[in-house]
Amino acid sequence: MDTAFIIETLVKIVVVLLVFSALAGFGTYFERKVLAFMQRRLGPMHVGPYGLLQIAADGIKLFTKEDIVPSGVVGPIFKIAPVITAATAFMAAAAIPFLPEFTIFGYTVHPIIADVNIGILYILGVMAIGLYGPLLGGMASNNKWSLISAARGAAIFISYEVVTGLALLVPLMIIGSLSLLDFNEYQAANGWMAFAHPMGFISFILFWIAAFAETGRTPFHLVANDHEVIDGFGTEYSGMRWGLFFIGEYANMFFISFVMAIVFLGGFGDGTVMGALGLLLKVAFFFFFFLWTRAAWPDVRPDQLMWLCWKVLMPLAVINVVVTGIVMMF
Amino acid sequence: MEAIAFYLFAVLTVAMFSYTVMSSQALYALSSMAAGMIMISAFFFLLNADFLGVVQIIVYTGAVMALYAFGMMFFDTTRAVKEHNTSKVIVLTLSVLATLLVITIFTMPIAAENISAAFPEPAGVENPKAVGIVLFTKYLVPFEVAAVMLLVAMIAGIVMAGKKMDRSLTKMKEEEIAMMHQEETQKKVTL
Amino acid sequence: MSLEQFTDRNVQQHYFKVDIEEYPQTGWDRFKQVVKRGLNGELFVGLWVVMREMIKFDIHTVQYPKEKLPIGPRYRAVHEMQRLFESGTERCIGCGLCEKICISDCIRMDTRIDENSRKEVTEYTINLGRCIFCGYCAEVCPELAIVHGPRYENTSEQREHFILFEDMLTPIDMAIKGEQKEYPGFGAVTPNEDARVKKTPLAY
Repeated sequence: MDTAFIIETLVKIVVVLLVFSALAGFGTYFERKVLAFMQRRLGPMHVGPYGLLQIAADGIKLFTKEDIVPSGVVGPIFKIAPVITAATAFMAAAAIPFLPEFTIFGYTVHPIIADVNIGILYILGVMAIGLYGPLLGGMASNNKWSLISAARGAAIFISYEVVTGLALLVPLMIIGSLSLLDFNEYQAANGWMAFAHPMGFISFILFWIAAFAETGRTPFHLVANDHEVIDGFGTEYSGMRWGLFFIGEYANMFFISFVMAIVFLGGFGDGTVMGALGLLLKVAFFFFFFLWTRAAWPDVRPDQLMWLCWKVLMPLAVINVVVTGIVMMF
Repeated sequence: MEAIAFYLFAVLTVAMFSYTVMSSQALYALSSMAAGMIMISAFFFLLNADFLGVVQIIVYTGAVMALYAFGMMFFDTTRAVKEHNTSKVIVLTLSVLATLLVITIFTMPIAAENISAAFPEPAGVENPKAVGIVLFTKYLVPFEVAAVMLLVAMIAGIVMAGKKMDRSLTKMKEEEIAMMHQEETQKKVTL
Repeated sequence: MSLEQFTDRNVQQHYFKVDIEEYPQTGWDRFKQVVKRGLNGELFVGLWVVMREMIKFDIHTVQYPKEKLPIGPRYRAVHEMQRLFESGTERCIGCGLCEKICISDCIRMDTRIDENSRKEVTEYTINLGRCIFCGYCAEVCPELAIVHGPRYENTSEQREHFILFEDMLTPIDMAIKGEQKEYPGFGAVTPNEDARVKKTPLAY
């Protein structure tokens, strides 16, 4: 392990942290603007040109707001829960190749923090731990809405992890590797996973649906559904602790968009500048789609969500895996 | 480097799990147990068994502990649990047994000096692949038996949980509900 | 918006009934419903609708302090006191009807007989903290002296904000120049009043 490698890794970690924390802020801005335009409103307009500085205003508010720990909560757990959410969201980023490798000042940079050979499994695992943020936060809050939200969160995460795993199994079987870089190389040679194979397309749709549940976005926004459970696990939180939940949620949206783009839609392709731009465009589309559905679709009920997972998506995913196995055998 | 990591995670794991046992706060116990499960996966990573390490995290931390948490939601987790140890004999026996176990574990390497791995990791094979090959050749039968056992458990669970699923208390009339309760009590009496 | 349009409150009643499907009874019906709803693309219709609105960019936001919506002529905001056109003297004759009818008891007036043996208003206040802007005072006023103006932005440091007679009164220089407009709003006679008169639909 030479010094250059350590320095490079540290720099990459800092860059990813900074970029995606900032992107989480911009994400809220985009979300408000897009939702507003779709509902014939203007969105934030007053702070800065076209409301751009609203992010800064929000940041200042979140950082300087009083951090309230209500009496009756389980203090340490209550305090650590938002950190778990934010930390796991960023830990998942370690195995994601954000761009193709490029050379800057004669030094080749690999924009992936750790190319572990089980990349996609690692991301799944870390996202599984991400469940503990809402879960512990909700259970420690001493608030019935938080508790309901924690219960829903646990149920949704466990159920949809099955769908996520089974949906990812198809590209894994076809490619035969768990590293996201291998995914990219295979698709650069053989065409995009979602369109080259019919099974790949089905698993792409399944994963996309499950991604909404894993990030808790609108059609499946039951963990913090405002009209039923107030803010769910975040009800008792204030200031920066609530902000950490928020950053975690938005970072998760970005990272799962990256995963979808790399696993199913060809990633950065052959690694040229156009490929890199293509990857960013795909990620932007997926992120936009998260906002788009929020404007267009209603929320489902919790029982409908479970019904969808166990009676529709999971059988489909299993059949999909079996068919892939049969096709690969012959 | 590896030694440092090993001892660090060993201490952390033991600390986490002992806190699980010692703590009178259910939520602390849950969280420290979940953390301990993650610490255990560190050993797999140290042994270059990345696949098993991640599976450990996904299965134990992601699924099993979340199910524990589900169970714990029926209690008031924000209050400390009051325990009262009634029998000193049980405590004594259990601690003696635990001590014996620890001693056995520590002396085990002496007894097992000349044991070598029956299936050493073949060189050049990636980790998940190796696991798959071993699982579907040498250990195929135990693997399938375990799968069948899980299937049986799953079906049994569904059957037990789904006994009265077709009855809806909100749609039933008062008399029907009363009748149902009466039937149940009669059943208990006849049993 | 012209006054005639505004005062025409006869809303046309075009009711239509929404088609409500039969509730599914059997499992097969339920399955058919799910398939129908899942495959006929309603979700995508929703997506398209919001996307269309975004592309059309037909923004309906009114950026309030910069832009203001026009208000109706019969809008009831803070009161105004009118002057006579010819002489410029106050129209208020101190009859006290507004004080009497005020249902929230927020108008207070004092009068005396002056040297010309005319009634003179010595003190007239409206407690805006109590006023519910019902418009009875403007309606009851026989002289069209107290009317509701269009000024709806009032802020004050306390809830019980009084306005005095002098604040409401049209300034004398404006009245002399003839800038005071005759009030068309609440309490004034509407132009098509005769046509709108109907028989009282009571049996007794």
